[in-house]
Amino acid sequence: MNQTDCPEVKVPFLVFFTVGIISLAENLLVVVAVIRSRNLHSPMYCFMCSLAAFNTIASVTKTWENLMIVLADAGHLEKRGPSETDLDDVMDSLLCMSFVGSKSSFLAIAVDRYITIFHALRYHNIMTMKRTGVILGLIWTLCAVLAVLMVKFFDFKFIVICFTVFFIISLATICFLYIYMFMMARIHARNIAALLGGGRDRSQHQRRWGSNMRGALTLTILFGAFVVCWAPFFVHLIIIVVCPMNPYCECYRSLFELHVVLMMSHALIDPAIYAFRMAELRHTFRKMLFCSGWKLCL
Amino acid sequence: MSDFHNRSQLVSTRRSDYVWQYEYYDDEEPVSFDGLKAHRYSIVIGFWVGLAVFVIFMFFVLTLLTKTGAPHQENPDLAEKRHRPEGRLVDINGHQEENDKAFSRPLLDGSPSYFNFYISEEDQAHKKRKLEDKRSSTKDKVGRHLCSSEIEEMHEDIEESGGHQPLNGLIEESKTDKECAFLSHFNIPNFVNLDHSSTLGEDDLLYEPSIILERQSQAHNAHCDTH
Repeated sequence: MNQTDCPEVKVPFLVFFTVGIISLAENLLVVVAVIRSRNLHSPMYCFMCSLAAFNTIASVTKTWENLMIVLADAGHLEKRGPSETDLDDVMDSLLCMSFVGSKSSFLAIAVDRYITIFHALRYHNIMTMKRTGVILGLIWTLCAVLAVLMVKFFDFKFIVICFTVFFIISLATICFLYIYMFMMARIHARNIAALLGGGRDRSQHQRRWGSNMRGALTLTILFGAFVVCWAPFFVHLIIIVVCPMNPYCECYRSLFELHVVLMMSHALIDPAIYAFRMAELRHTFRKMLFCSGWKLCL
Repeated sequence: MSDFHNRSQLVSTRRSDYVWQYEYYDDEEPVSFDGLKAHRYSIVIGFWVGLAVFVIFMFFVLTLLTKTGAPHQENPDLAEKRHRPEGRLVDINGHQEENDKAFSRPLLDGSPSYFNFYISEEDQAHKKRKLEDKRSSTKDKVGRHLCSSEIEEMHEDIEESGGHQPLNGLIEESKTDKECAFLSHFNIPNFVNLDHSSTLGEDDLLYEPSIILERQSQAHNAHCDTH
């Protein structure tokens, strides 16, 4: 093999392992907290639990895969053996499943928030726990079926095209829903301020500007994290299909492990963006972690 | 035949040197790096610059969205409202054209409006007593739910004007929300996140004023919780 000017960038196994373990711990904590505490059995928390579950699967799979690569590099495993390729297939399908599942969970959370705001008084009729269960069941079944089909039967190019299209569609839908909610919340806030005799104080304007900035910042973080973590990997997939022989593309592909670390870190920051911002969930964590032995904790 | 066997073995050992992850790569044909016009990492740099520009652009679009809409349009409404008595249902919904109709609408017409504040002196205390008796068992849970899911900019606006307007109970209670540190977050509101076993969702008549009263009770709880 010729020497390339773009050698592969190797990320040490310890980084993968750390990111995987921390994201596993966080997401598992969210899943356990939602399942165990009864007052978190509402549609919104169920969707967050499902998101955390998919992230858990993704982190476990990725960490396991890296462990196997390390073992294979050390010579303990045969790279092309039948059991290894089967295991590889299983891990690929689990990764597909967790990817599609986490995107669907994002969509479900966004739709749930949308219904909360715009159909608030009918929310309990629209989003019953039974419907939530049905939606979650559908999402999980769909992901499992897609994962098995993708890995067993389809061509790599077809998979790449499907995933990219799904990624773009879900990104666009979520973007649209959140920006619409954001705009409506602004209009409502302004209405209320006008109703209550707002606009008289300069300090009020400044404070509202401050809260607007915070809202914009939150949404930017939400989308920014999603795009920054997932886009490099998708561009990598596209480049494999589109220009495998191009030297510029080769240099992009040499950064593959960095992009995988970014993808794994999305599972790490997801709980921080979605779950840990809910005070109810934080309260439950505190109770679970610090009060497990004490009967005095309420 | 033995030569053929040896050669195939050689090929298989060569294949095992490839990285396992890149199962779909065909690494047998090396890529030539002769005659590159631009820097070799140009795609990488271009991609990240594009991504950064996109995120910053999105942030500026969002902040610009906050400045759209005309504040002067609301002033005629404001003048009208000042002349009205205080015991009036204020119907805040997402459609600007309905705002004018909102103030002449009867109390509860069951329309799917987004938010209803019931601002009235005499009924509030009465209903507060009634409803707090009814929901004393779930008060803690409800309080914690709603505290975690307020529309914080509405609260801030109410707080700011609270000193000037006698919106009883509501404003005084919402001032205590300042202690809820998480008001500074932009929580996508989920203020109807009541205990799902509650049947209040069916009971529209009690539901609208109950939002205010719940907020009062939860603000009180939040005040206690944060200490």
